[in-house]
Amino acid sequence: MPNVPKNMAATAAALSLPVSRREKGEEERQLVRLAQSGEEAAFEELIRRHQQRVFGLVSGILRRREDVEDVVQQVFLKVFVSLKRFDQRAAFSTWLYKISVNECWDYLRKKKVRPLVYEADLSEEQVSRLDGVVSADQPATSSSDRAEARDLLERMMEKLPEQDRELLVLKEVEGFSVQELAEILDLNVNTVKVRLFRARARLMDVYRRRLHSKPEQPAEGKEG
Amino acid sequence: MSMNSENRNAENNYAACPQHEAALEDQLQGTLRGPEAVMLAEHLATCAGCRTALEDAAVSARLLAIAEPSPDPGAGFSRMVMARIRQELLTTESRSIWRPVVSVAWRFAASAAFALVLLVSFDLGRHSQSVSNQPVIAENRMPEIVPDLPALPANRDDVLLMMADTSHGKQ
Repeated sequence: MPNVPKNMAATAAALSLPVSRREKGEEERQLVRLAQSGEEAAFEELIRRHQQRVFGLVSGILRRREDVEDVVQQVFLKVFVSLKRFDQRAAFSTWLYKISVNECWDYLRKKKVRPLVYEADLSEEQVSRLDGVVSADQPATSSSDRAEARDLLERMMEKLPEQDRELLVLKEVEGFSVQELAEILDLNVNTVKVRLFRARARLMDVYRRRLHSKPEQPAEGKEG
Repeated sequence: MSMNSENRNAENNYAACPQHEAALEDQLQGTLRGPEAVMLAEHLATCAGCRTALEDAAVSARLLAIAEPSPDPGAGFSRMVMARIRQELLTTESRSIWRPVVSVAWRFAASAAFALVLLVSFDLGRHSQSVSNQPVIAENRMPEIVPDLPALPANRDDVLLMMADTSHGKQ
């Protein structure tokens, strides 16, 4: 029966990814159960597995890097305290990310953090450098160039509405998928896609206004 | 032309057709497949606005690729968090040992404070009442009704004088 092994192979190939995901998920559920029963080592392992993504998520929402570590610690503390109430109906990661997002918003509300405002406009040199990076034929090679480009990008991102900035950073910088963002932010997947697409357009709008329009310097001041 | 200018995303000041934005995002991510991909390709062939928006989105992706994701906090971070959790648990436990005592103490203090307030207000009330009564007594004290007690007569002449004053001796 030549068809049988072929079918089996096809089935195995089709199931290989979901099975490995399922195994991973089961392993995590087991870790959560152990942590719920008070096994500290299991909880520490959960922290180790998720710390980088939680860091990414929190730093995507909070702009001040110095606050990120404190908020992430607070997130894990809250997770530890409320872990017994977690019924595992959702994935642990989704629950953890939702707690992280809420903690960030609480933090911003308490601290009344205002957006950082960069008053200075970009110089001609900075304009051409960033243009080069974006046109992709002149990629920034040196670390100082890359650092400067990052700084310029950050300035432009500060001009965006908070929601756009968060979505773009979480999706494009921190690597969250559209599906994950929809779950974390309690939004429909299509809504996330539309918001992302519009956020990109607004970023490009800021980019054009800041880079391609001449700086609004008072002409008389220069002449004088 | 499948899209008119009024269908465009005027609110956001750019030219993508609102009904194709989700598909355009999928196209950008490279996740658009099947009939949806065909439909969008057909639409893009006729809609300059969506084409421009898609090109812009691609530039934005290149722009955002400059940014770096947050660094891994390192292996020590989980240990640090666990240490903080243990410390918090200890603090909570010590709080829970003393909680009944603290609760009773607070109740006792509250009752004492309430009693003190009652006493003080009662005393103040009494004091103000006595103060307000004083002028009335003074006003009512009339020498005609309550005469001063006379001094006792020292001798016979004084007796006679007293009788003369009070007219007791008059017929």
